[in-house]
Amino acid sequence: MNNPLYAPFFNATRDVFKLMLDLSNISDKPLLDKDVSAQDSKINIEIGIIGDLQGKVIYHFPKQTSLEMVKIMSGMEFSEIDDFVTSALGEIANIISGNVMSTLSVQKISCDILSPHILNETGDTTEINYEFESGMQICTDIGSVDLNIILNTK
Amino acid sequence: MIWKDRYKLGVTLIDEQHQELFTRVSDFVEVLRSSVPWEQRVEKVNETLNFMKDYVVTHFHDEEKYQKQIGYPEFAAHKKIHNDMVKYVAEVASQYERDGYNEQLMQQFAGKLLAWLINHVASEDQKVADFVRKGVVEDE
Ligand SMILES: [Fe+2]
Repeated sequence: MNNPLYAPFFNATRDVFKLMLDLSNISDKPLLDKDVSAQDSKINIEIGIIGDLQGKVIYHFPKQTSLEMVKIMSGMEFSEIDDFVTSALGEIANIISGNVMSTLSVQKISCDILSPHILNETGDTTEINYEFESGMQICTDIGSVDLNIILNTK
Repeated sequence: MIWKDRYKLGVTLIDEQHQELFTRVSDFVEVLRSSVPWEQRVEKVNETLNFMKDYVVTHFHDEEKYQKQIGYPEFAAHKKIHNDMVKYVAEVASQYERDGYNEQLMQQFAGKLLAWLINHVASEDQKVADFVRKGVVEDE
């Protein structure tokens, strides 16, 4: 089971984190159910994918990691997840996903993304069966971000 | 918002404008994030918002002029990114006025703007500098 978007999403996330947040020590590992911690509250952002590939990617940003990211960008302290923080992370998810779509278009795969959608729950439950459902944990010096890539190649 | 020297393109006018833009957005975010009650800071928020809005337009215009001068091949695509942002800012501003200066909308707007601007300057605008340095547009 080789999700064709796993590597592009990892590469794009790594590049964006490096460029925007100066994080250079970034690695990935497949996300197993046991890795999903329920204790820490998270910001969950869904980005729909339409076109040659159909599906969605869901980003899970833990609270502390989120606050640290916004602090790096703004130079200001943040203590709670609020509209500002959520919106900034939604834009980061949008940028990463947009970069993946640009990479795909070079390979003549034509896809578009939908606007970021904030989920209240973790949002991992899908009623439809998808061809690919993979989870990835991206580890950085300020914590890890989980991505779920859910996809049909038609 | 933190300016970094690695954002520099090596074009004095554009680099100065980028730094000024960072300062204006920082001022805006700082006022927006202060702990004073909304009623007491809304006026200052609106003032910094207007400064920043005008400055974005001026800066995009000058940057496009520069790209045209050097024959930047991705000019049209870059201009579209600018236009989309100007359109988004205008839409938010008019909704903000219509809704009677709603704080939530401004917080959402500022968060997105912060991330958008850092990425744009650190990534999209750097492609222009790469073109000047190497004479080619590089794919990521
Ligand atoms: Fe630009």
